Amino acid sequence: MIRLGIMSFAHLHAEAYVENVRAIPDAELVGAADDDKTRGARCARALGVRLWPTYEDLLAQQLHGVIVCSENARHRALVEMAARAGVHVLCEKPLATTLTDAHAMLEACQQGGVSLMVALPMRFSAPLLEVRRVLDAKRLGEIFCCVSTNQGQNPRRHRDWFVDKRLAGGGAVMDHTVHLVDALRWYLRSEVAEVYAQTTDLLPGGNGDVETGGVILLTFANGVFATIDCSWSRPASYPTWGGLTVELIGQHGVMRVDAFRQNLTIYPERSPGIHWEYWGSDANQGMIGEFVSAIQERRAPAVTGVDGFRALEVIVAAYESARTGRPVRLTMGENR
Amino acid sequence: MRVAIVGTGLMGGVHAEAWSHTDARIAAFVGTAGAGGDALAGAYAARFVTDLDAVLADVDVVDICTPTHLHAEFTLRAAAAAKHVICEKPIALTVGEGRRMIVACRTAGVRLLVAHVLRFFPEYRLAREMTARGDIGAPAVLRLSRCTFRPRKADNWYVDPARSGGMMLDLMVHDIDYARWVAGDVVRVFAKAAQTSGRPDETDHALAILTHRSGAISHLEGSWAYPPPIFQTRFEIAGAAGLIEFPGPAPAAIEMHLRGGEGSNHEVQLPRSPLHESPYATQLRAFHEALTRGTEPPVSAEDGLAAVHIARAAIESARRGQPVELDASGEAR
Repeated sequence: MIRLGIMSFAHLHAEAYVENVRAIPDAELVGAADDDKTRGARCARALGVRLWPTYEDLLAQQLHGVIVCSENARHRALVEMAARAGVHVLCEKPLATTLTDAHAMLEACQQGGVSLMVALPMRFSAPLLEVRRVLDAKRLGEIFCCVSTNQGQNPRRHRDWFVDKRLAGGGAVMDHTVHLVDALRWYLRSEVAEVYAQTTDLLPGGNGDVETGGVILLTFANGVFATIDCSWSRPASYPTWGGLTVELIGQHGVMRVDAFRQNLTIYPERSPGIHWEYWGSDANQGMIGEFVSAIQERRAPAVTGVDGFRALEVIVAAYESARTGRPVRLTMGENR
Repeated sequence: MRVAIVGTGLMGGVHAEAWSHTDARIAAFVGTAGAGGDALAGAYAARFVTDLDAVLADVDVVDICTPTHLHAEFTLRAAAAAKHVICEKPIALTVGEGRRMIVACRTAGVRLLVAHVLRFFPEYRLAREMTARGDIGAPAVLRLSRCTFRPRKADNWYVDPARSGGMMLDLMVHDIDYARWVAGDVVRVFAKAAQTSGRPDETDHALAILTHRSGAISHLEGSWAYPPPIFQTRFEIAGAAGLIEFPGPAPAAIEMHLRGGEGSNHEVQLPRSPLHESPYATQLRAFHEALTRGTEPPVSAEDGLAAVHIARAAIESARRGQPVELDASGEAR
């Protein structure tokens, strides 16, 4: 039995992960801890999870792995704590808010002899995997260009810290860029060499602190270019939280994947209004399953801290580009 | 009002049909011999000639539907004869040519109306109206996409940068003009272009990020890289207080279009939707009204010129791999 714990309920994904862990016969959710006592008690009660008074208490329960769901800027402290305790880590994305923190986390996990996985569930999305198979079969031929979107509603409706720069590290760019950077690296098998970004705070809810919209243009070391729209451009009335799409322009044709388009449309007589109910496969389940399998099989997980680090490099460069109006070179792009 | 249509290809035919919804009369078609112009003229009981000068004395308006590189020459000749000019988009191949056309028409005291037909497509027009009256707050992030197949004419001027300016000037220019209409002047452009088929130097897929003076951002996609017979347009305007979405065809988790059989026998496709009046007819009615009653149509020659400025900046940005800044007058720096 693989014994797992949850460190912090700050990120709303923690709720989904609890269900994912419970759906795995070989895994046991031992409990959770949270530095915010009120939030911890509320979430633990709502989810029926045992709450330990401190992270140290939780880590003393002979755990195999923890899922770190704290605010972005607090990932480092919790990951380092788990690594020192010899516990494998699945860390919510983005890996960190600074490259210094991200680097320290990679080091800590290496020294602790534990693996570091980053929560990039799109690698386990059934529609995105279908595209990976089409690419493997070379049905599109050479890929020249990609257009991708990961737009959403402003997440402050769930948790206020998403628009607090100190805790989140930034706004829409920090929140909604990593899934696509990772998916594009995975599809193109190349590293990002150049980043151009323009951001805006014209969309509402940025708290005067963070950007609420952004469009990023990446050029990969293999010459392919791709855009990412990371904007919080879905109003509260939108029929779902947002979505993720990737369009690929190839030598033999074009393809478009819309990862969350498997929905029923619901038209209630009264509020909450028209909305979509998702019926597709749960990508999170595949991701949590991989975290457990990797621990069982004593191997590195399919998505590692290095993937999280690469995605963060792009975010940091995007902020610099948005500030200067110039493209930013990632010098490691050519020789990685 | 009597009209001479110059150019007897796809757009010449489309304009002729559109004119039939007004009380103007098509007096003549001007074209190249042996290109089907005489049959088109026959269908509208008009003369077919190979030289504009042969009919200039008989008309009030010259409607230019030629390949782009000929727009300036025919405009200057029409203006010299004091004839009003309607000109297909883009107004010209270069900013310099476009400016000469505007000056010539102004000097001659004739109108110069540029056919940016997207401003007459009801879905685009409605979205712009709603944005302009504040329904979704200040526009913040626009996404405009226009994807079709590579034109396949026998004399394929569309794919010849010397005659059309290439995909970005011929196709993406529609959305460039629209982005400017919705979100205002553009101060910076960064673009990347790819070529998936065809001869070198024939960009067939490009992405551009426009930064507007207001702080809004527009993401533009133009493509001749889709397989025939697709012509797919999508747009969305995200504003400070709401979102307008035109999602295009019914979205699915996976869509794939492979080039295989030739798909259709269309040489060039136009976007279509069932309507009581085609946007091309709406456009020509507006132009007809502008000429007969002196009204201002929703697109000016200066708008047409600004779109060429931005398209040229996008082409230059893709070539240099650097953003291009546009100054207050819209000129590339």
